Amino acid sequence: MKAKLPLRWTIIGCCGLIIATLTTGCARWIELVAAPDSSQEPNVRTISRDEQVPLVMDSVRMTRNGSPQNLPLETEQRVLGTLREIGLFTQLGGMDSAEPSASEKFIRARLLFDETIDPHPGDAAWKGIVIGASMFILTPFIPLEYDFAAHVTLELERWDGQVKRYESQSAGTAHYQLFGATPFMIDELKGHVTESCLTALMQQIVHDTTFYTASSAPILNQPIRSVSVKSKRPKITSVPISTASGK
Amino acid sequence: MSRQSTQPTKVRNGCWIQSQALVIILLLTITLCASLPISYAGENTPPLTIGTQEIGLSVGYLFPHLLKGKKSKTEQSGPAFMPSWSMMLTDPIGNGWYRGQILIGAEIVYIQFQQPVLTHGAGFAPSIKYLFEGTHKIRPYVIFSGGPFYTDLAGQIPEQSGRFNFVLTVGGGISWFLTPQMSLNAGYRFQHISNAQTSYPNVGLNASLPFLGFSLYF
Repeated sequence: MKAKLPLRWTIIGCCGLIIATLTTGCARWIELVAAPDSSQEPNVRTISRDEQVPLVMDSVRMTRNGSPQNLPLETEQRVLGTLREIGLFTQLGGMDSAEPSASEKFIRARLLFDETIDPHPGDAAWKGIVIGASMFILTPFIPLEYDFAAHVTLELERWDGQVKRYESQSAGTAHYQLFGATPFMIDELKGHVTESCLTALMQQIVHDTTFYTASSAPILNQPIRSVSVKSKRPKITSVPISTASGK
Repeated sequence: MSRQSTQPTKVRNGCWIQSQALVIILLLTITLCASLPISYAGENTPPLTIGTQEIGLSVGYLFPHLLKGKKSKTEQSGPAFMPSWSMMLTDPIGNGWYRGQILIGAEIVYIQFQQPVLTHGAGFAPSIKYLFEGTHKIRPYVIFSGGPFYTDLAGQIPEQSGRFNFVLTVGGGISWFLTPQMSLNAGYRFQHISNAQTSYPNVGLNASLPFLGFSLYF
Protein backbone atom coordinates (compact mmCIF):
# COMPACT_ATOMS: atom_id res chain seq x y z
CA MET A 1 0.00 0.00 0.00
CA LYS A 2 2.84 2.32 0.89
CA ALA A 3 4.52 1.60 -2.43
CA LYS A 4 1.38 2.50 -4.39
CA LEU A 5 1.04 5.95 -2.85
CA PRO A 6 4.06 7.53 -4.58
CA LEU A 7 3.00 5.96 -7.88
CA ARG A 8 -0.46 7.45 -7.51
CA TRP A 9 1.00 10.87 -6.80
CA THR A 10 3.40 10.48 -9.70
CA ILE A 11 0.50 9.76 -12.04
CA ILE A 12 -1.52 12.68 -10.63
CA GLY A 13 1.53 14.92 -10.94
CA CYS A 14 2.15 13.87 -14.54
CA CYS A 15 -1.51 14.44 -15.44
CA GLY A 16 -1.37 17.87 -13.78
CA LEU A 17 1.79 18.75 -15.68
CA ILE A 18 0.29 17.65 -18.99
CA ILE A 19 -2.90 19.66 -18.38
CA ALA A 20 -0.89 22.72 -17.28
CA THR A 21 1.35 22.45 -20.35
CA LEU A 22 -1.59 22.06 -22.71
CA THR A 23 -3.54 24.97 -21.22
CA THR A 24 -0.67 27.43 -20.77
CA GLY A 25 1.05 26.34 -23.98
CA CYS A 26 -1.87 27.46 -26.18
CA ALA A 27 -1.43 31.21 -25.73
CA ARG A 28 -0.94 33.57 -28.64
CA TRP A 29 -1.06 37.32 -29.07
CA ILE A 30 -0.44 39.86 -31.78
CA GLU A 31 1.72 42.93 -31.31
CA LEU A 32 1.02 45.62 -33.85
CA VAL A 33 3.26 48.55 -34.72
CA ALA A 34 0.63 50.73 -36.31
CA ALA A 35 1.25 53.39 -38.91
CA PRO A 36 1.46 56.88 -37.31
CA ASP A 37 -1.66 58.11 -39.13
CA SER A 38 -3.85 55.14 -38.29
CA SER A 39 -4.25 56.11 -34.63
CA GLN A 40 -5.56 59.58 -35.43
CA GLU A 41 -9.22 60.42 -35.33
CA PRO A 42 -10.78 60.03 -38.77
CA ASN A 43 -11.18 63.23 -40.78
CA VAL A 44 -14.72 64.10 -41.81
CA ARG A 45 -15.39 66.06 -45.00
CA THR A 46 -18.75 66.72 -46.57
CA ILE A 47 -19.24 66.96 -50.31
CA SER A 48 -22.37 67.00 -52.43
CA ARG A 49 -23.21 63.97 -54.55
CA ASP A 50 -22.71 66.02 -57.71
CA GLU A 51 -19.06 66.44 -56.72
CA GLN A 52 -18.33 62.74 -56.56
CA VAL A 53 -16.43 61.07 -59.40
CA PRO A 54 -15.83 57.39 -60.19
CA LEU A 55 -12.56 55.59 -59.49
CA VAL A 56 -11.07 52.82 -61.59
CA MET A 57 -8.26 50.56 -60.47
CA ASP A 58 -5.61 50.75 -63.17
CA SER A 59 -3.02 48.37 -61.77
CA VAL A 60 -2.35 46.43 -58.62
CA ARG A 61 1.07 44.95 -57.94
CA MET A 62 2.21 42.87 -55.06
CA THR A 63 5.69 41.94 -53.89
CA ARG A 64 6.73 39.67 -51.04
CA ASN A 65 10.20 40.03 -49.60
CA GLY A 66 11.08 41.87 -52.79
CA SER A 67 9.87 39.30 -55.29
CA PRO A 68 6.75 39.86 -57.42
CA GLN A 69 3.70 37.78 -56.54
CA ASN A 70 0.42 36.81 -58.12
CA LEU A 71 -2.20 39.18 -56.85
CA PRO A 72 -4.89 37.62 -54.67
CA LEU A 73 -8.30 38.93 -55.76
CA GLU A 74 -9.15 39.49 -52.11
CA THR A 75 -6.52 42.24 -51.85
CA GLU A 76 -8.00 44.27 -54.70
CA GLN A 77 -11.52 43.72 -53.35
CA ARG A 78 -10.44 44.78 -49.90
CA VAL A 79 -8.83 48.01 -51.13
CA LEU A 80 -11.90 48.81 -53.23
CA GLY A 81 -14.13 48.06 -50.25
CA THR A 82 -12.13 50.43 -48.05
CA LEU A 83 -12.27 53.15 -50.72
CA ARG A 84 -16.02 52.61 -50.96
CA GLU A 85 -16.38 53.10 -47.22
CA ILE A 86 -14.94 56.64 -47.27
CA GLY A 87 -17.71 57.71 -49.66
CA LEU A 88 -15.54 59.97 -51.79
CA PHE A 89 -16.22 58.24 -55.10
CA THR A 90 -19.46 57.42 -56.88
CA GLN A 91 -18.39 54.10 -58.35
CA LEU A 92 -15.41 51.86 -57.88
CA GLY A 93 -14.22 49.59 -60.64
CA GLY A 94 -11.68 46.82 -60.47
CA MET A 95 -8.95 46.15 -63.00
CA ASP A 96 -11.32 44.10 -65.12
CA SER A 97 -13.99 46.81 -65.31
CA ALA A 98 -14.25 49.17 -68.28
CA GLU A 99 -12.70 52.60 -68.01
CA PRO A 100 -15.06 55.59 -68.43
CA SER A 101 -14.73 57.56 -71.64
CA ALA A 102 -12.13 60.31 -71.87
CA SER A 103 -14.83 62.97 -71.75
CA GLU A 104 -15.78 61.91 -68.23
CA LYS A 105 -14.13 62.89 -65.02
CA PHE A 106 -12.69 59.92 -63.18
CA ILE A 107 -9.74 58.87 -61.04
CA ARG A 108 -7.20 56.19 -61.98
CA ALA A 109 -5.68 54.25 -59.09
CA ARG A 110 -2.42 52.34 -59.02
CA LEU A 111 -1.63 50.23 -55.99
CA LEU A 112 1.65 48.66 -54.88
CA PHE A 113 1.46 46.26 -51.97
CA ASP A 114 4.88 45.35 -50.59
CA GLU A 115 4.88 42.63 -47.94
CA THR A 116 7.82 41.58 -45.80
CA ILE A 117 7.57 38.28 -44.00
CA ASP A 118 10.01 36.92 -41.45
CA PRO A 119 8.87 33.63 -39.91
CA HIS A 120 12.18 33.22 -38.02
CA PRO A 121 12.66 29.67 -39.33
CA GLY A 122 16.04 29.16 -37.66
CA ASP A 123 14.75 30.25 -34.27
CA ALA A 124 11.64 28.13 -34.71
CA ALA A 125 13.72 25.07 -35.55
CA TRP A 126 16.02 25.45 -32.53
CA LYS A 127 13.18 26.24 -30.18
CA GLY A 128 11.27 23.26 -31.58
CA ILE A 129 14.20 20.97 -30.83
CA VAL A 130 14.45 22.32 -27.26
CA ILE A 131 10.69 21.96 -26.73
CA GLY A 132 10.74 18.41 -28.08
CA ALA A 133 13.78 17.46 -26.01
CA SER A 134 12.01 18.70 -22.89
CA MET A 135 9.07 16.41 -23.70
CA PHE A 136 7.00 19.60 -24.36
CA ILE A 137 7.31 20.72 -20.73
CA LEU A 138 9.03 23.95 -21.81
CA THR A 139 6.23 24.80 -24.27
CA PRO A 140 4.69 27.55 -22.07
CA PHE A 141 8.07 29.19 -21.54
CA ILE A 142 9.34 29.34 -25.13
CA PRO A 143 7.29 31.65 -27.34
CA LEU A 144 7.70 31.60 -31.12
CA GLU A 145 7.44 34.63 -33.38
CA TYR A 146 6.23 35.48 -36.86
CA ASP A 147 6.83 38.98 -38.26
CA PHE A 148 4.79 40.59 -40.99
CA ALA A 149 5.19 44.11 -42.36
CA ALA A 150 3.39 45.87 -45.18
CA HIS A 151 4.16 49.00 -47.14
CA VAL A 152 1.32 50.22 -49.33
CA THR A 153 1.69 52.84 -52.01
CA LEU A 154 -1.39 54.22 -53.72
CA GLU A 155 -1.19 56.60 -56.66
CA LEU A 156 -4.35 58.42 -57.63
CA GLU A 157 -4.35 60.16 -61.01
CA ARG A 158 -6.96 62.83 -61.58
CA TRP A 159 -8.63 63.22 -64.96
CA ASP A 160 -6.38 66.19 -65.77
CA GLY A 161 -3.24 64.10 -65.32
CA GLN A 162 -2.26 65.31 -61.84
CA VAL A 163 -1.03 62.51 -59.61
CA LYS A 164 -1.05 62.25 -55.84
CA ARG A 165 0.92 59.57 -54.11
CA TYR A 166 0.03 58.15 -50.72
CA GLU A 167 2.11 55.79 -48.64
CA SER A 168 1.60 53.97 -45.40
CA GLN A 169 3.32 51.19 -43.58
CA SER A 170 2.64 48.96 -40.66
CA ALA A 171 4.19 45.94 -39.02
CA GLY A 172 3.18 43.32 -36.54
CA THR A 173 4.45 40.27 -34.75
CA ALA A 174 2.49 37.20 -33.80
CA HIS A 175 3.82 35.72 -30.59
CA TYR A 176 2.59 32.21 -30.02
CA GLN A 177 3.31 29.09 -28.08
CA LEU A 178 3.60 25.80 -29.87
CA PHE A 179 0.12 24.50 -29.11
CA GLY A 180 -1.41 27.86 -29.98
CA ALA A 181 -0.18 27.91 -33.57
CA THR A 182 -2.80 27.76 -36.31
CA PRO A 183 -2.80 28.92 -39.93
CA PHE A 184 -5.56 31.39 -38.92
CA MET A 185 -3.13 33.12 -36.58
CA ILE A 186 -1.01 34.26 -39.54
CA ASP A 187 -4.15 35.37 -41.41
CA GLU A 188 -5.21 37.37 -38.36
CA LEU A 189 -1.81 39.08 -38.21
CA LYS A 190 -1.85 39.92 -41.92
CA GLY A 191 -5.43 41.16 -41.60
CA HIS A 192 -4.59 43.55 -38.76
CA VAL A 193 -1.46 44.91 -40.45
CA THR A 194 -3.24 45.42 -43.77
CA GLU A 195 -6.18 47.12 -42.06
CA SER A 196 -3.80 49.47 -40.26
CA CYS A 197 -2.12 50.41 -43.56
CA LEU A 198 -5.40 50.96 -45.39
CA THR A 199 -6.83 53.05 -42.55
CA ALA A 200 -3.77 55.33 -42.69
CA LEU A 201 -4.06 55.59 -46.48
CA MET A 202 -7.74 56.48 -46.37
CA GLN A 203 -7.11 59.22 -43.82
CA GLN A 204 -4.58 60.78 -46.18
CA ILE A 205 -7.02 60.56 -49.08
CA VAL A 206 -9.88 62.06 -47.06
CA HIS A 207 -7.55 64.90 -46.14
CA ASP A 208 -7.28 65.70 -49.87
CA THR A 209 -11.01 65.46 -50.53
CA THR A 210 -11.17 68.75 -52.38
CA PHE A 211 -8.57 67.50 -54.86
CA TYR A 212 -10.94 64.79 -56.08
CA THR A 213 -14.19 66.72 -56.29
CA ALA A 214 -15.64 67.18 -59.77
CA SER A 215 -15.27 70.95 -59.60
CA SER A 216 -11.61 70.80 -58.64
CA ALA A 217 -10.36 70.80 -62.24
CA PRO A 218 -11.85 71.01 -65.73
CA ILE A 219 -11.61 68.21 -68.26
CA LEU A 220 -8.72 68.74 -70.62
CA ASN A 221 -9.79 69.78 -74.10
CA GLN A 222 -7.13 67.56 -75.56
CA PRO A 223 -6.85 64.64 -73.19
CA ILE A 224 -3.73 62.53 -73.31
CA ARG A 225 -4.50 59.74 -75.74
CA SER A 226 -1.08 58.17 -76.04
CA VAL A 227 0.50 55.71 -73.64
CA SER A 228 4.02 54.37 -73.38
CA VAL A 229 4.40 50.70 -74.30
CA LYS A 230 7.59 49.13 -73.03
CA SER A 231 8.88 46.04 -71.30
CA LYS A 232 10.54 46.20 -67.93
CA ARG A 233 14.30 46.13 -67.73
CA PRO A 234 15.36 42.80 -66.21
CA LYS A 235 16.62 43.21 -62.65
CA ILE A 236 18.48 39.91 -62.48
CA THR A 237 22.12 40.42 -63.30
CA SER A 238 24.05 37.72 -65.09
CA VAL A 239 26.25 35.48 -63.01
CA PRO A 240 29.87 35.30 -64.17
CA ILE A 241 31.05 31.76 -64.84
CA SER A 242 34.69 30.99 -64.21
CA THR A 243 36.48 28.32 -66.21
CA ALA A 244 39.65 26.44 -65.46
CA SER A 245 42.55 28.28 -67.11
CA GLY A 246 44.59 25.11 -67.53
CA LYS A 247 42.32 23.72 -70.22
CA MET B 1 5.84 -30.76 -20.32
CA SER B 2 3.92 -30.75 -23.56
CA ARG B 3 1.20 -28.55 -21.94
CA GLN B 4 3.80 -25.99 -20.91
CA SER B 5 5.17 -25.76 -24.39
CA THR B 6 1.85 -25.57 -26.25
CA GLN B 7 0.26 -22.83 -24.07
CA PRO B 8 2.68 -20.02 -25.01
CA THR B 9 2.45 -21.06 -28.65
CA LYS B 10 -1.32 -20.63 -28.54
CA VAL B 11 -0.97 -17.22 -26.91
CA ARG B 12 1.65 -16.30 -29.46
CA ASN B 13 -0.60 -17.41 -32.31
CA GLY B 14 -3.50 -15.41 -30.86
CA CYS B 15 -1.43 -12.24 -30.67
CA TRP B 16 0.03 -12.89 -34.10
CA ILE B 17 -3.48 -13.05 -35.52
CA GLN B 18 -4.36 -9.87 -33.61
CA SER B 19 -1.42 -7.93 -34.99
CA GLN B 20 -1.99 -9.38 -38.45
CA ALA B 21 -5.56 -8.15 -38.25
CA LEU B 22 -4.36 -4.64 -37.36
CA VAL B 23 -1.94 -4.65 -40.29
CA ILE B 24 -4.72 -5.79 -42.61
CA ILE B 25 -7.00 -3.01 -41.30
CA LEU B 26 -4.29 -0.44 -42.02
CA LEU B 27 -3.64 -1.83 -45.48
CA LEU B 28 -7.38 -1.80 -46.22
CA THR B 29 -7.58 1.82 -45.04
CA ILE B 30 -4.69 2.74 -47.32
CA THR B 31 -6.26 0.89 -50.25
CA LEU B 32 -9.61 2.60 -49.69
CA CYS B 33 -7.89 5.98 -49.42
CA ALA B 34 -5.97 5.34 -52.61
CA SER B 35 -9.16 4.49 -54.46
CA LEU B 36 -10.80 7.79 -53.43
CA PRO B 37 -11.20 10.27 -56.29
CA ILE B 38 -7.98 12.23 -56.25
CA SER B 39 -8.88 15.90 -56.09
CA TYR B 40 -5.37 17.23 -55.78
CA ALA B 41 -5.36 20.62 -57.42
CA GLY B 42 -1.69 21.46 -57.13
CA GLU B 43 -1.03 25.18 -57.19
CA ASN B 44 -4.66 26.14 -56.69
CA THR B 45 -4.69 24.84 -53.16
CA PRO B 46 -3.14 26.63 -50.20
CA PRO B 47 0.19 25.12 -49.16
CA LEU B 48 0.77 23.62 -45.74
CA THR B 49 1.60 26.64 -43.60
CA ILE B 50 2.78 27.33 -40.06
CA GLY B 51 0.39 25.84 -37.54
CA THR B 52 -0.93 23.10 -39.85
CA GLN B 53 -1.43 19.97 -37.77
CA GLU B 54 -0.72 16.45 -38.91
CA ILE B 55 -2.07 13.29 -37.36
CA GLY B 56 -1.06 9.94 -38.70
CA LEU B 57 -0.63 6.26 -38.17
CA SER B 58 2.26 4.12 -39.31
CA VAL B 59 2.59 0.37 -39.12
CA GLY B 60 5.77 -1.55 -39.69
CA TYR B 61 7.61 -4.72 -38.88
CA LEU B 62 10.79 -4.94 -36.86
CA PHE B 63 13.78 -6.84 -38.28
CA PRO B 64 16.74 -7.29 -35.91
CA HIS B 65 20.29 -6.04 -36.47
CA LEU B 66 23.09 -7.66 -34.52
CA LEU B 67 25.37 -4.67 -34.78
CA LYS B 68 27.55 -5.45 -31.76
CA GLY B 69 28.68 -8.82 -32.94
CA LYS B 70 28.86 -11.47 -30.26
CA LYS B 71 27.53 -9.18 -27.52
CA SER B 72 24.15 -8.84 -29.18
CA LYS B 73 22.43 -12.14 -29.77
CA THR B 74 18.72 -11.43 -29.43
CA GLU B 75 16.85 -11.35 -32.70
CA GLN B 76 13.80 -9.41 -31.63
CA SER B 77 11.07 -8.97 -34.20
CA GLY B 78 7.42 -8.08 -34.39
CA PRO B 79 4.95 -5.46 -35.62
CA ALA B 80 5.19 -1.85 -34.57
CA PHE B 81 2.34 0.68 -34.44
CA MET B 82 3.08 4.38 -34.34
CA PRO B 83 0.21 6.86 -34.05
CA SER B 84 1.64 10.35 -34.34
CA TRP B 85 0.89 14.04 -34.14
CA SER B 86 2.99 16.90 -35.44
CA MET B 87 2.79 20.54 -36.36
CA MET B 88 4.31 22.67 -39.10
CA LEU B 89 6.82 24.91 -37.42
CA THR B 90 7.94 26.84 -40.49
CA ASP B 91 6.82 27.88 -43.94
CA PRO B 92 9.00 26.45 -46.74
CA ILE B 93 12.61 27.38 -46.11
CA GLY B 94 15.70 27.17 -48.29
CA ASN B 95 16.09 27.19 -52.03
CA GLY B 96 16.80 24.35 -54.38
CA TRP B 97 16.36 20.64 -53.83
CA TYR B 98 16.48 20.86 -50.04
CA ARG B 99 13.64 23.39 -49.77
CA GLY B 100 11.15 22.16 -47.20
CA GLN B 101 9.38 22.57 -43.90
CA ILE B 102 10.14 21.59 -40.32
CA LEU B 103 7.56 19.76 -38.25
CA ILE B 104 7.73 19.02 -34.56
CA GLY B 105 5.55 16.51 -32.83
CA ALA B 106 5.39 13.29 -30.94
CA GLU B 107 4.47 9.69 -31.51
CA ILE B 108 3.44 6.76 -29.41
CA VAL B 109 5.49 3.69 -30.21
CA TYR B 110 3.95 0.33 -29.51
CA ILE B 111 5.86 -2.82 -30.40
CA GLN B 112 4.66 -6.36 -29.98
CA PHE B 113 7.84 -8.41 -29.75
CA GLN B 114 7.02 -11.84 -31.14
CA GLN B 115 10.58 -13.10 -31.01
CA PRO B 116 12.38 -14.28 -28.96
CA VAL B 117 9.62 -14.07 -26.32
CA LEU B 118 6.12 -12.74 -26.78
CA THR B 119 6.36 -9.41 -24.97
CA HIS B 120 5.31 -5.81 -25.45
CA GLY B 121 6.83 -2.38 -25.39
CA ALA B 122 5.34 1.10 -25.42
CA GLY B 123 6.89 4.52 -25.45
CA PHE B 124 6.38 8.21 -26.10
CA ALA B 125 8.82 9.89 -28.45
CA PRO B 126 8.95 13.58 -29.41
CA SER B 127 9.94 13.86 -33.05
CA ILE B 128 11.34 16.36 -35.50
CA LYS B 129 10.70 15.94 -39.19
CA TYR B 130 11.94 17.75 -42.28
CA LEU B 131 9.44 17.53 -45.11
CA PHE B 132 11.06 18.35 -48.44
CA GLU B 133 8.94 20.33 -50.88
CA GLY B 134 9.51 17.71 -53.57
CA THR B 135 6.95 17.87 -56.34
CA HIS B 136 4.19 19.08 -53.94
CA LYS B 137 2.37 15.81 -54.54
CA ILE B 138 5.29 13.55 -53.67
CA ARG B 139 7.29 14.88 -50.75
CA PRO B 140 10.24 12.99 -49.22
CA TYR B 141 11.05 13.49 -45.56
CA VAL B 142 13.56 12.61 -42.89
CA ILE B 143 12.56 12.08 -39.28
CA PHE B 144 14.23 11.72 -35.92
CA SER B 145 12.44 10.75 -32.74
CA GLY B 146 13.41 9.65 -29.27
CA GLY B 147 11.86 9.14 -25.88
CA PRO B 148 11.19 6.82 -22.96
CA PHE B 149 10.18 3.25 -23.72
CA TYR B 150 8.90 0.62 -21.32
CA THR B 151 9.15 -3.04 -22.27
CA ASP B 152 8.83 -6.36 -20.48
CA LEU B 153 11.19 -7.89 -23.03
CA ALA B 154 14.03 -6.52 -20.93
CA GLY B 155 14.96 -8.92 -18.20
CA GLN B 156 14.20 -11.88 -20.44
CA ILE B 157 17.12 -11.28 -22.76
CA PRO B 158 20.84 -10.96 -22.02
CA GLU B 159 21.24 -7.52 -23.58
CA GLN B 160 18.87 -5.49 -21.43
CA SER B 161 18.02 -5.94 -17.76
CA GLY B 162 15.88 -2.90 -16.87
CA ARG B 163 12.37 -2.48 -18.19
CA PHE B 164 12.72 1.29 -18.44
CA ASN B 165 14.52 2.13 -21.68
CA PHE B 166 14.73 4.75 -24.37
CA VAL B 167 13.81 4.34 -28.00
CA LEU B 168 15.60 6.33 -30.70
CA THR B 169 14.65 6.20 -34.35
CA VAL B 170 16.08 7.87 -37.40
CA GLY B 171 14.78 7.37 -40.87
CA GLY B 172 13.11 8.71 -43.93
CA GLY B 173 10.21 8.17 -46.21
CA ILE B 174 8.00 9.50 -48.93
CA SER B 175 4.60 11.14 -48.52
CA TRP B 176 2.27 10.79 -51.47
CA PHE B 177 -0.38 13.51 -51.20
CA LEU B 178 -3.68 12.15 -52.51
CA THR B 179 -5.29 15.45 -51.58
CA PRO B 180 -3.75 18.53 -49.93
CA GLN B 181 -5.15 17.24 -46.64
CA MET B 182 -4.15 13.62 -46.90
CA SER B 183 -1.08 11.58 -47.71
CA LEU B 184 0.04 7.99 -47.79
CA ASN B 185 3.49 7.39 -46.36
CA ALA B 186 6.10 4.70 -46.82
CA GLY B 187 9.60 4.59 -45.49
CA TYR B 188 12.33 3.06 -43.44
CA ARG B 189 13.58 3.70 -39.92
CA PHE B 190 16.54 2.50 -37.96
CA GLN B 191 15.56 1.87 -34.35
CA HIS B 192 17.71 1.64 -31.25
CA ILE B 193 16.49 0.64 -27.79
CA SER B 194 18.73 0.99 -24.74
CA ASN B 195 18.57 2.34 -21.20
CA ALA B 196 21.23 5.09 -21.21
CA GLN B 197 23.28 3.14 -18.65
CA THR B 198 20.54 3.33 -16.01
CA SER B 199 20.98 -0.40 -15.43
CA TYR B 200 23.45 -3.09 -16.42
CA PRO B 201 23.82 -4.77 -18.89
CA ASN B 202 22.98 -2.27 -21.59
CA VAL B 203 24.11 -3.72 -24.89
CA GLY B 204 21.10 -2.28 -26.73
CA LEU B 205 18.72 -3.61 -29.34
CA ASN B 206 18.92 -2.44 -32.92
CA ALA B 207 16.41 -3.05 -35.67
CA SER B 208 15.27 -2.03 -39.11
CA LEU B 209 11.69 -0.86 -39.33
CA PRO B 210 10.12 -0.51 -42.78
CA PHE B 211 6.67 1.02 -42.46
CA LEU B 212 3.51 2.14 -44.24
CA GLY B 213 1.01 4.69 -43.03
CA PHE B 214 -1.16 7.67 -43.69
CA SER B 215 -1.39 11.28 -42.48
CA LEU B 216 -4.19 13.79 -42.29
CA TYR B 217 -3.46 17.53 -42.34
CA PHE B 218 -5.77 20.21 -40.97
